[in-house]
Amino acid sequence: MGRHIIWTVLRKELLDLFRDRKTLLGTFLVPLVIIPFVFFLLGMSYSNVEKEARAYVPIAIQGASGLVAALEKIPGARIVQPKQPEQSLQAGELRAIVTIPPSFDGRIRAGGTAELTVAYDSTNQKSLYAKEVIEQTVKAYSQEIVAERLRHAGLSEKAIEPIVPTFQNVATEERLSGGMLAGIIPLMLVVSLASGGVAAANDLVAGEKERGTLESLMTAPIAANHILTAKLLAVMVMSTMSAMASLVSLSLVLSIGPLDMDGAGFSLGFFSPATLSVLILTILLLSALFAGLELVLSTIAKSFKEGQTYMSGIIFVAMVPSYMLMPLNPVDIPRYYYVLPVFNGVALCKEVFYGKVDPLHGLIGLGTTLLYVAAIIALTARLFRREGAVIKN
Amino acid sequence: MIEVKQVAKRFDSFTAVHDLTFRVEAGEVYGLLGENGAGKTTTMRMMATILQPTEGDIEISGYSVRRDPAQVRRRIGILFGGDVGLYNRLTARENIAYFGSLYGLAPARLQERIDSLSRLLDMEEFIDRRVGAFSRGMKQKVAIARTLVHDPDVILLDEPSTGLDVTTANMFRRMVSRMQEEGKTILFSSHNMGEINKLCKRVALIHKGRLRFAGTLDSLRQRFGLDDLDDIFMAVVEGSGQ
Repeated sequence: MGRHIIWTVLRKELLDLFRDRKTLLGTFLVPLVIIPFVFFLLGMSYSNVEKEARAYVPIAIQGASGLVAALEKIPGARIVQPKQPEQSLQAGELRAIVTIPPSFDGRIRAGGTAELTVAYDSTNQKSLYAKEVIEQTVKAYSQEIVAERLRHAGLSEKAIEPIVPTFQNVATEERLSGGMLAGIIPLMLVVSLASGGVAAANDLVAGEKERGTLESLMTAPIAANHILTAKLLAVMVMSTMSAMASLVSLSLVLSIGPLDMDGAGFSLGFFSPATLSVLILTILLLSALFAGLELVLSTIAKSFKEGQTYMSGIIFVAMVPSYMLMPLNPVDIPRYYYVLPVFNGVALCKEVFYGKVDPLHGLIGLGTTLLYVAAIIALTARLFRREGAVIKN
Repeated sequence: MIEVKQVAKRFDSFTAVHDLTFRVEAGEVYGLLGENGAGKTTTMRMMATILQPTEGDIEISGYSVRRDPAQVRRRIGILFGGDVGLYNRLTARENIAYFGSLYGLAPARLQERIDSLSRLLDMEEFIDRRVGAFSRGMKQKVAIARTLVHDPDVILLDEPSTGLDVTTANMFRRMVSRMQEEGKTILFSSHNMGEINKLCKRVALIHKGRLRFAGTLDSLRQRFGLDDLDDIFMAVVEGSGQ
């Protein structure tokens, strides 16, 4: 009977929520519209700047040298002579000024060291690009001179390179792509889990209280716990759907978007069965934790509007741990983070996307989250069963 | 049958209902009179087991709201006035069916009840439309159907005709009379004296949470020496400070 009631209430709640534009907007706006929009905007902005930086590189050269011919060969380079080069550089019309002293070629020919100055603007991305390509050109020119000097001295080029190190990257392919994913995905996932259920939770208790439907519902011969369970499941469904939409949306944006990160998206094949299980359990437990917390706030709220005010704090509960853990590699995450609520979920997500979950971390993280979920559900049930909790005034 | 026995309800330092006692016989339409804030809705909520009496007890069809709230809920149907408590994004049929399912009605029986109530309340034209766009009268019809879907023995109507137009109010009164003919026990709260006069023979009059009178309308008139119920009501309200 209990299961039938929970299913009846859950089915009705989902039908009701899916017919509510406000709830759908709150659940899917961030993952399906805002994430792709922000990434596309960022990507387009970066790729446009990069394209422009490569296409046209105006450089002013003061002085003469054989190096000038090499600088002229930089793709996109235009050697210009503005009247006031420093001002042009400040204004962004010029990307760099190369100043070659008169003694430059002479010093080189004498086997000494010649100096030159490259002025650039570090606040201008295009000027930074010009500095980078000039540096590469000067280095190549310098290497040619060194090779020539060595030949004159009857030495091999290897004489100045006695050691050749070989660096081997031990990161697996999973970890290579996961490293990038592990930075951003836990943030998006946890924020979506938190924000995805807010509208539903507020509507299902504070909203129903305001509309008088909760009072009518509580006159039916059904246990308050069954109603609450159905509402908790409904909020979890909305929050998990929002998180899934975030993952898919982010994956698509990373793999086909303008950020040029081919292969950065992920598929189910990315995970081993063990890491996938940890990810699913983490998502479910975090969604239950946030759903419980949101239902507590919705039950305390006297009106829909009051509920909205309380719910605004939820996003910080998700964002603070996500941002704190964002730059950390799983091996640098302090142990005690695995027992802190939400922190433990974010830490486990990072391990999942790095491709390796420490079983002890998994056990501690999932176990403590389960305890927090039990505590928050017990609190919600207590508040929900409190006399008068379902009455508008 | 409804038996209210020395019931009091306190919210912190505020007492909403003091020592209330009255009895509604099986098959009777009984009026609960009082102005807004008199304690009518609080009393109804205690009958519906949403609130628990601070003192005393209420028995519905022999079951105590304190000891057997689940049994009480199975036997009552409650209609709150003002905010009718419907799900605006569901159709009228979905609203009624939802409550029918919660009362454990089998699908065939539920379908039969919805069809019968839809005909009775003249809702066939809009039964499959979403409630959000309904007029007040249409919503009240759906709320009545939802209240009656499980065919309860005891019906609690809390200010049910508030905001209804004349036609719907008349339809509603006919509905109450019909339910009485079917042997239902009906407690009808209102501050509309004309409506009480048409539907009830016996009433309880409460003011500021205290029972001022319980008995037949005739004895009420005799007691106050007035014929018009509105005048009696005003006499009670104005005399309350004395």
